[in-house]
Amino acid sequence: MVNRKNRLAKNFGFFILIMLIVLFCLFPFIQMLSTSLKYSWDWGNPSLIPIEVNTDAYTEILNINTSGEEVVIEIPASVKKLMEDNPDLTEPQKTAILAKYTDTSDVFPFKTYFLNSLKFSLISSLCALTIAIFGAYSISRMKYRGQKIIQRGVLFVYMVGGILLLIPLYKISVTLGLTGSEGGTTLSLVIIYMVQTLPVCLYMLGNSFRSIPFSIEEAAFIEGYTRFQTIVKIIIPLSFGAIATVFSYAFMIAWNEYLFASVFLKSYINMYTLPISLKALFVSKNAIWDRVSAASLLTAIPVIVLFMLVQRFLSGDSTAGGVKE
Amino acid sequence: MAYNQLTMEQKDARLGIKLVAPAVIIIGLLIIYPIFYNIYLSFFDVSMIGDTKFIGLENYKNVIFDPSFWKSVFTTFVYVIATTVLTTLLGLIVAIAMNKEFPLRGLVRSIILLPYVAPVISTVYSWQFFFDPVNGIFTHVMVDVLHIYDQRFNLIADPKYALWVAIVFSMWKAFPFTYLMILSRLQTIDNNLYEAAEIDGAGGIRKFISITIPELYFVLGSIVLLRFIWNFNKFEEVYLLTDNVKVLSVYTYFKAFTGSMALGQGSALVVVQFTLLIGLILVYVKKVLKW
Repeated sequence: MVNRKNRLAKNFGFFILIMLIVLFCLFPFIQMLSTSLKYSWDWGNPSLIPIEVNTDAYTEILNINTSGEEVVIEIPASVKKLMEDNPDLTEPQKTAILAKYTDTSDVFPFKTYFLNSLKFSLISSLCALTIAIFGAYSISRMKYRGQKIIQRGVLFVYMVGGILLLIPLYKISVTLGLTGSEGGTTLSLVIIYMVQTLPVCLYMLGNSFRSIPFSIEEAAFIEGYTRFQTIVKIIIPLSFGAIATVFSYAFMIAWNEYLFASVFLKSYINMYTLPISLKALFVSKNAIWDRVSAASLLTAIPVIVLFMLVQRFLSGDSTAGGVKE
Repeated sequence: MAYNQLTMEQKDARLGIKLVAPAVIIIGLLIIYPIFYNIYLSFFDVSMIGDTKFIGLENYKNVIFDPSFWKSVFTTFVYVIATTVLTTLLGLIVAIAMNKEFPLRGLVRSIILLPYVAPVISTVYSWQFFFDPVNGIFTHVMVDVLHIYDQRFNLIADPKYALWVAIVFSMWKAFPFTYLMILSRLQTIDNNLYEAAEIDGAGGIRKFISITIPELYFVLGSIVLLRFIWNFNKFEEVYLLTDNVKVLSVYTYFKAFTGSMALGQGSALVVVQFTLLIGLILVYVKKVLKW
């Protein structure tokens, strides 16, 4: 009797512990969803369920025009009067003032930023992955002088965080004249993201390739496969899980990157990636919690989906020491 | 020597070098070279346009005699030590809990990964909202429900408290990684060890101290090392949550990229930061991991 009671209490305690862990992990996401659907007068209400559901934040951010009509922006009468009363104003000055009121650029162009982020992340992670597959194969499967040094060097590179490279890389890009044009800036940022993800890819893939039995490769050589064919036809299919995981990490690192983007893209507003545009959106206006929450949630979705897809490949073994933050 | 006269091994070695060459060249040009270039820059008065002027140790002097630098070093230490300890402890507790079978374990596993995989930028605003003085649930609970404080306040705006908010946020973001690593090690511990201990009359706590901890020693050692390195260089998780917590990375960012853009001083700061990190790692590796 006592024993059973004891176990029940234990199970109950365990249940509470798991619930607390789940709540701790999920709460910020639930709150994000809740705030994005609330009217501003409802924000102070501690309940997570909106009193009235408001989808304005999403329609505004995704630029869905519900009315189907052209939005006409009225120029305030006081401004019109001001302009008529001041004949000293030159024509360009007048247009500048008018532009301030008719400007639609304060509508947050989420789609543009989303596509920018996607472009940077996809290109850099695919490049890093391709280079890393061959590099990791070479490090983990072939013998030559210097191979051990390269292997250890990859570990050393872990210590080098973004902030340590920011100043020299920026200075180099400026000296090379890359930051002066949109194309040059794109190129520098893609290469920088690639090099940020490359060590992770090399390390994780190396670990995974080492776990493939050597006899499989030997059999392929006997069949007359070259090294290159072996990599493409044997190694890559066998480590599909690891490759998918590594790709997700590389994509995530680029997708989440703020530091380099904030410095390199400073003067190119239409090239902004999601992290810097979200920060800019939050700083630019007051009372913007609903739109920021909606944008946050939409920014998180691609990486979350990606990770749910590769989750079954995630285990301590393949990630052991192999991720960079 | 012509190519076809090489032995199989030699050909293979050449191919190996060719395959790894792109990775090595890119890492060399964009990580190794910039580290040295940065050291070079730290002796100059760097400007983006025009000449850079050699000024010797001036940048280092400016850095070291600035009291705000030492404050930043102190903040960094508090941040790194607290986050490392708390993240590891939480990861350990969750790993032990998740090592048991229970219904819906798969779903709980996925949920636990969410903080880790979600972009920093998407999670910071929810955390800020939570602590918001006007709308936040935290202040609501503290002031209106528990009556611990009698008026609403902005926790994140006060550097003293903001540091702790940043620490808890970092713990939330990073513990899933720790838990995953510990769990995979836990699952390889031989169950016979526990059974033998039970026969000898060992209780739960005794088993934990005498079996689990020694078995986990090295994985915990590596996790602490990795976490220490990562959090020492951490920028986004701190800066995006609050710009009141000036850990070294944030301090350098403000020095080098805002206001008068003291890039040379920024370089010197980075050199100091990197040297500190390497020094600490060497001590740790010797003392804890006994390499």
